[in-house]
Amino acid sequence: MGNNWEMVIGLEVHAQLNTSSKLFSSSPNQFGSEPNENVNFIDSGMPGMLPVMNFACIEMAIKTGFALNFKINKYSVFERKNYFYPDLPQGYQISQFEFPILTEGFINIDNEGNQKKIRIERAHLEQDAGKSIHDIDPKFSFIDLNRVGTPLLEIVSYPDLSSAEEVVSYMSSLRQVLMYIDVCDGNMQEGSLRADVNLSVRKKGGELGTRCEIKNLNSFKFIRQAIEYEFKRQVDVIESGGKIEQNTMLFDTSTGETRAMRSKEFSHDYRYFPDPDLLPVNLTQDQIDKVKTSVGELPQAKLDKFIKDYNVDKDIAKIITVEKQNAILFEKMISETDVKPKFIAAWLVGDIFAFIKENNLEVSSLNEKTKEITDLLKLVSDDVISNKAGKEILPKVLNGQGKPSDIVKELGLEQVSDSGELEKIIDEALVGEEENISKFQGGSDRVLGYFVGKCLKATKGKGNPKLINKILLERLKN
Amino acid sequence: MSDIDIKRISYLAKLKLPHEKEEFYANSLKDIIKWVDNLKMIDTSETEPLHNVTEKTVSIRKDEINKSNSVDDVLSNAPERAQNFFKVPKVVE
Repeated sequence: MGNNWEMVIGLEVHAQLNTSSKLFSSSPNQFGSEPNENVNFIDSGMPGMLPVMNFACIEMAIKTGFALNFKINKYSVFERKNYFYPDLPQGYQISQFEFPILTEGFINIDNEGNQKKIRIERAHLEQDAGKSIHDIDPKFSFIDLNRVGTPLLEIVSYPDLSSAEEVVSYMSSLRQVLMYIDVCDGNMQEGSLRADVNLSVRKKGGELGTRCEIKNLNSFKFIRQAIEYEFKRQVDVIESGGKIEQNTMLFDTSTGETRAMRSKEFSHDYRYFPDPDLLPVNLTQDQIDKVKTSVGELPQAKLDKFIKDYNVDKDIAKIITVEKQNAILFEKMISETDVKPKFIAAWLVGDIFAFIKENNLEVSSLNEKTKEITDLLKLVSDDVISNKAGKEILPKVLNGQGKPSDIVKELGLEQVSDSGELEKIIDEALVGEEENISKFQGGSDRVLGYFVGKCLKATKGKGNPKLINKILLERLKN
Repeated sequence: MSDIDIKRISYLAKLKLPHEKEEFYANSLKDIIKWVDNLKMIDTSETEPLHNVTEKTVSIRKDEINKSNSVDDVLSNAPERAQNFFKVPKVVE
């Protein structure tokens, strides 16, 4: 396969809004309930039932508008997208078509250290469909309508993406922002965030090719695999003299291959028209402005602040800002202590995250323990206890086994930082070591480590290593 | 006026037309469209599209849960039921 081909990709991302109730009905918007538990007569498409707009969905769309630099349209219209499928009992999906609530946004993504601006054409509100289960019975499909009417925000990018890495970076940046502004829980496994990938290939810089759409990808791994497979498939077709047909594709997660689901010839004819059950949305400037105050600090702003104001290393700052909960915990700790943020950050992404992972905890569960954590970090940064002792005590503190200072006393972990006492120990340790001392003075640094070890052992590991080092050097140089 | 693809229309409407009736229905539809096309006599180049005849905005509600129907209510009209699912002829795309 020649390497003078490039891919051109646009993404349609469906984000489930984390409201309590559905878009047009008061049924719970909840994952994992018993089949058809969260369904009422509106959701099940009973004749005569009328949809009523959940205003929280509009507010979340506006919030997304601010966060992703969109033009927020005061006027938008809900239309019916007609298709027949058993998990869509109304016979149509209520969506926005000609007049979406958001147009012309963008997001900056990080691509191997470089920033790239990805333009977003539009975002609109729509209902989700239910679920068909095909593998219980050979002759019948089983229908669960719980997901019917779940509010979705469909975010449609321009074809500005040109590699699987960029797509993953775009998708994860989008996910991060949506989670920061609290409109989507970002849980891809549960389908809260999923993508349709539109991909075509062309000779570098050439005319756009015919695109295929790969439906419903719900993990970064599958997105990457599907893109790589589809790119190769299209190039192979063209290089062997064939033509790409505009198809809708499915990605088979077990084989890692894409296959055609339906061709253009059989594509749906959606026959959109304004839903007569729903009046157009006419927002006032006041309604839009009210939402603006709730957007909060976005991930990029937090990252910049951590690096510039708190002096945290970029890589560590990135780990902390990946999820909003991390950043909240970090900033809470900073506000409660005079320990340097950089020092706290290192402990956070190190031992504290390790503890959270090991015990399968939510990061937010530590918000009530920040006082104990910062007290402990203060003891370490003030050299009252060693780094090693700090690591040993941390799990006990996080498990609520007492105040750090009490645990330190109880376990006798306080460091000996009394220089008089340490000098005595060091002098004793140097007795009879004339040979090693002259080795050191002859330029062998290795001997220093030996001496530090010997002194630490003499203090039963409680001597302050920094101080021991310092005094030792003074002694050895004379 | 463009020709009418009666096969496609009957497919979209989920209607099975007998072959000998296709022409009859195609002509009926053509007549209807011709009649509606009278609207084209009006010059609308200066008119904004209207999506609803009332000037009002969509009615809204608060984001609150109200479970108004039980699983049994919802499944009571189902042609067939299996546990708490609707049971329908297999449709796989």
